[in-house]
Amino acid sequence: MHVKKYLLKCLHRLQKGPGYTYKELLVWYCDNTNTHGPKRIICEGPKKKAMWFFITLLFAALVCWQWGLFIRTYLSWEVSVSLSIGFKAMDFPAVTVCNASPFQYSKVTHLLKDLDELMEAVLRRILAPEPSLANATTALNFTIWNHTPLVLIDERNPHHPVVLDLFRENHNGSESSSPAPERICNAQGCKMAMRLCSLNGTECTFRNFTSATQAVTEWYLLQATNIFAQVPQQKLVEMGYPAERLILACLFGDEPCSYRNFTSIFDPHYGNCYIFNWGMTEKALPSANPGTEFGLKLILDIGQGDYVPFLASTAGVRLMLHEQRSYPFIRDEGIYAMSGTETSIGVLVDKLQRMGEPYSPCTVNGSDVPIQNFYSDYNTTYSIQACLRSCFQDHMIRNCSCGHYLYPLPHGEKYCNTRDFPDWARCYSKQQMNVAQRESCIGMCKESCNDTQYKMTISMADWPSEASEDWIFHVLSQERDRSTNLTLSRKGIVKLNIYFQEFNYRTIEESAANNIVWLLSNLGGQFGFWMGGSVLCLIEFGEIIIDFVWITIIKLVALAKGLRQRRTQARYAGPPPTVAELVEAHTNFGFQPDTTHHSPNTVAYPDEQSPPIPGTPPPNYDSLRLGVIESDSEGDTI
Amino acid sequence: MAPGEKIKAKIKRNLPVTGPQAPTIKELMRWYCLNTNTHGCRRIVVSRGRLRRLLWIGFTLTAVALIFWQCALLVFSFYTVSVSIKVHFEKLDFPAVTICNINPYKYSAVRHLLADLEQETREALTSLYGFSEIKSRKRREAETWDPAAEGTQPKFLHKFPLLLFDQDEKGKARDFFTGQKRKVSGSIIHKASNVMHVHESKQVVGFQLCPNDSSDCATYTFSSGVNAIQEWYKLHYMNIMAQVPLEKKINMSYSAEELLVTCFFDGVSCDARNFTLFHHPMHGNCYSFNNRKNETTLSTSMGGSEYGLQVILYINEEEYNPFLVSSTGAKVIIHQQNEYPFIEDLGTEIESAMATSIGMHLTESFKLSKPYSQCTEDGSDVPIKNIYNAVYSLQICLHSCFQTKMVEKCGCAQYSQPLPPAANYCNYQQHPNWMYCYYQLHRDFVQEKLGCQSVCREACSFKEWTLTTSLAQWPSEVSEKWLLPVLTWDQGQQINKKLNKTDLAKLLIFYKDLNQRSIVESPANSIEMLLSNFGGQLGLWMSCSVVCVIEIIEVFFIDSLSIIARRQWQKAKEWWSRRQALPCPEAPSSPRGQDNPALDIDDDLPTFTSALHMPPAPGSQVPGTPPPRYNTLRLERAFSNQLTDTQVPDEH
Repeated sequence: MHVKKYLLKCLHRLQKGPGYTYKELLVWYCDNTNTHGPKRIICEGPKKKAMWFFITLLFAALVCWQWGLFIRTYLSWEVSVSLSIGFKAMDFPAVTVCNASPFQYSKVTHLLKDLDELMEAVLRRILAPEPSLANATTALNFTIWNHTPLVLIDERNPHHPVVLDLFRENHNGSESSSPAPERICNAQGCKMAMRLCSLNGTECTFRNFTSATQAVTEWYLLQATNIFAQVPQQKLVEMGYPAERLILACLFGDEPCSYRNFTSIFDPHYGNCYIFNWGMTEKALPSANPGTEFGLKLILDIGQGDYVPFLASTAGVRLMLHEQRSYPFIRDEGIYAMSGTETSIGVLVDKLQRMGEPYSPCTVNGSDVPIQNFYSDYNTTYSIQACLRSCFQDHMIRNCSCGHYLYPLPHGEKYCNTRDFPDWARCYSKQQMNVAQRESCIGMCKESCNDTQYKMTISMADWPSEASEDWIFHVLSQERDRSTNLTLSRKGIVKLNIYFQEFNYRTIEESAANNIVWLLSNLGGQFGFWMGGSVLCLIEFGEIIIDFVWITIIKLVALAKGLRQRRTQARYAGPPPTVAELVEAHTNFGFQPDTTHHSPNTVAYPDEQSPPIPGTPPPNYDSLRLGVIESDSEGDTI
Repeated sequence: MAPGEKIKAKIKRNLPVTGPQAPTIKELMRWYCLNTNTHGCRRIVVSRGRLRRLLWIGFTLTAVALIFWQCALLVFSFYTVSVSIKVHFEKLDFPAVTICNINPYKYSAVRHLLADLEQETREALTSLYGFSEIKSRKRREAETWDPAAEGTQPKFLHKFPLLLFDQDEKGKARDFFTGQKRKVSGSIIHKASNVMHVHESKQVVGFQLCPNDSSDCATYTFSSGVNAIQEWYKLHYMNIMAQVPLEKKINMSYSAEELLVTCFFDGVSCDARNFTLFHHPMHGNCYSFNNRKNETTLSTSMGGSEYGLQVILYINEEEYNPFLVSSTGAKVIIHQQNEYPFIEDLGTEIESAMATSIGMHLTESFKLSKPYSQCTEDGSDVPIKNIYNAVYSLQICLHSCFQTKMVEKCGCAQYSQPLPPAANYCNYQQHPNWMYCYYQLHRDFVQEKLGCQSVCREACSFKEWTLTTSLAQWPSEVSEKWLLPVLTWDQGQQINKKLNKTDLAKLLIFYKDLNQRSIVESPANSIEMLLSNFGGQLGLWMSCSVVCVIEIIEVFFIDSLSIIARRQWQKAKEWWSRRQALPCPEAPSSPRGQDNPALDIDDDLPTFTSALHMPPAPGSQVPGTPPPRYNTLRLERAFSNQLTDTQVPDEH
């Protein structure tokens, strides 16, 4: 009962509002609002009134405009970065070391025997001016050769390039074998090319090279890939350099370590690679001090004498520093360390931490990237390199129906080899040259939000020195091979020092430049600056709008009532209204306009009766307020 | 009343007097304080008691002071920048790579020009160190210098003699050539001597540069004969080469086919045609990859060494000039396509018989120019003319500045930098004392006396490639056997003998990954930020806004001034009326009673209004009670009526 009464009261108050006409409402609003401008509109003289009206509107417009700008700035999701540099105890990076040669030549000779013989024949062909060794070629295995032969393109006549097979008696005669005066032309006149033919040999493309060195290297690499792709990985691992052969000595800080502290991983390009401190399962080793004494010291033997001669022309150790849970892409990001030297590497960890969507386009764990990560078998974190390679392999499998040897395979697919996929070399070459496809991969792969780079300061010195050479080699040979003879030499030995620099980290961290607090304080600042307003003023304004609506509704209801009455009146259109009717009409609000319209003789009535009408609207607020102010000011002055 | 008067009155009633209605400034202030939107002022008027009022005045003034202080801080910190670091992973433009052999010209080709100089250098070595036969690792066949030339008059040593200085005897020096002691006057400048004094022997080697009149000689001494002889040789060398025309010099240097044995970029073969010639005065022919005019810049869409540039360089150690360069190898510089390669200053050296792998990381920087910092967008606002055919950089500006000064002061241009228009390179046939001039100028330049360092400004945006260089042995022992013959075949006709591995160098330049970092400065404040901060400050301390500022202007300037003006006007009018009424005996009437009816209580004259107030006269406060009420229209009207009323007696 009580509640109902209260609600009714509320309804009444709501209905009543601060006035019955728009003007009253506006005057009331202007007089009572807390924003600074409107008050002045009503309490000044007409000229100033106009001026204040204009100023208020202008400022309101300004506020709206500036608010728009701020909200737009907020929605652009800008970031600010903070940079910190210093030294702290940090996890030592994972260190991957590989030998530049993937396999020990002595162990892969049986696989590469045919290929090497062929290669030597090719080199003899190129270098020897006379085809005197033709009889020696009979023993060669030409099945490999015929699949993807190397050819010479004689371009001395640019309109009629002549294609010559290096072994003339084996080319299939499809091209015009002109009676070339010189069997082998020199480098200026001729280009070497690799002929890549489709399955039935009808469609051939030539991959051109400007130098014979490149041509033979690429050709050999392609053939070797073909051979190794057919060997199971277990055997490949056995053929590579074992850890105990490669890693002779290891010292981390004060603690000795050995090859057993290294995790083995098979890299298709570099063979067996060994990773120190790869925190896949165990905790990473920390290093709390800068300097060589507290870093990792390694002595490695690359065994240069056992290099695969045509596969590895560069001798040294390939090494790379990376995060604990990331896959080492050593071919892209690795550096070399030279034999016979001591290479010191000072490390600075350069970390970039980003906010992620919607601030910067990056991915936290790669789950929102539309490419399957083939490196996930290694249980490593997402990286953009992994994504790009998976993308390439994916295209390779889709277009050539086999995977390339250098990248990991998804389940149920096979590596490319000439026996099962005779077309693959041509297909691969096409894939590799396809720039549009690479770009589409870049478009699809997203960067990882946490990006860590290891900045290295590399310095080198000769090691071992001439004076110490002898005993060092003796000790190391004894340790590894249990022999008193020297099994090591200057050509194979590498010393590495990896340590933190004096400042070992530089962290760039993103944070939101414009948060909601920033937005609100700026919105408030603008509103306050131009009009002295606050959120309450907005609520006031909203209230006034509700009142406005109410007044409109009331007016509409009145109008509707009036219309209905006019309609009922229209039925009795004939006889003129009686006096009683007229009196009733005047007390009625809605009836008024009708009568003024209807008959000219009734016009006089409203004019005469107008004094009572103003009386009808309830309390004039203005006058009420005046009284209050008067008493106020009187009170003040006394 | 006349109809005109009637209309006037009506207008007056409808359009009441605008402007300040307060009769005095004090009233105006009071009115302002009561009605203003700022918070402090009202408290001043409303609060009772002097202490409180004072406190409130204090608070208000403090708030005003704080606002001014904070706003001043905001204005002064307006031109600050905020730095953001962004990382993009995208297809990157490959930079231009310029490769030079360290030795500028084939020694066999320039030998006829330098024969005299070489001979005298040998002589100097003989007289100083007692040996003449220089054994280089590879003997050249046609190298034995002509002993018949020994008798000729040495012109180089005569011009700028190499001297042996004895530190004990100041001012004495022994000429190498004549062996005579001679007097040395003027200043002796020890190169590097003010850095460290490690030279223990008493004898130092140097040379003397004299201007024409040879009264004011400058002597340069070096702690080691190696430096002295090289420097001395270089001066003469520049002299000689400055007179050789450019085409001849290009022919004397290495051709692209010679220098580049193989080239491989992004998995595709390339050759000498992909390189453009760039002639450097001190390094001879250099070749720029990916720097062809009117051609699209190559880009890489994959990181890693196999997708970068791989070249094998032919160094040809046999053709090295023994006195000019003492190291073997090549120099490489990575730069932007439109940048000038400062190979001498910024190049990376490459060793022979090695594979040098250079991994790059791209960092782009953008700074904000004026008014945020002093950098320049394109150098057009730097008063130094760019003599290089390349975009502006600080380095270019400094070199241009020096060269321009050189032409101004010495009358000729220095050899290792481009020629400004209408200038010639220095040589001592035409400019006999240019070396002296050059050394003086160079010292001034280093000591920042020429003003170049203050005039030149850094460029606003630049790209920087951070390089990670690592070395490996190449070719490996086992591959050497087949690699060298094939490379020899590749070189073809140019070299008929078998290549040696110390003549070759392998170079790999690649992007480590395609992450590009850009460091961008952006304005920390915008004008709307400044305004909203102002608003925040004003609102926090006084709940003030621009409206309040307008109010203050209105009240303190317009209204106060108009009140003062009105009072002055009334005073003047009164004075006038008094002068008119001077014969009248009742002239000395109170001046104040005329304008304010409320205050003429002191006046004895019974006016209409005072008469109205007569009954409550004992209470002197009463007339003060109806003060002007500005905030209501009605009262205004009443007030204006009163005003017109008071003016009526004046018109009489």
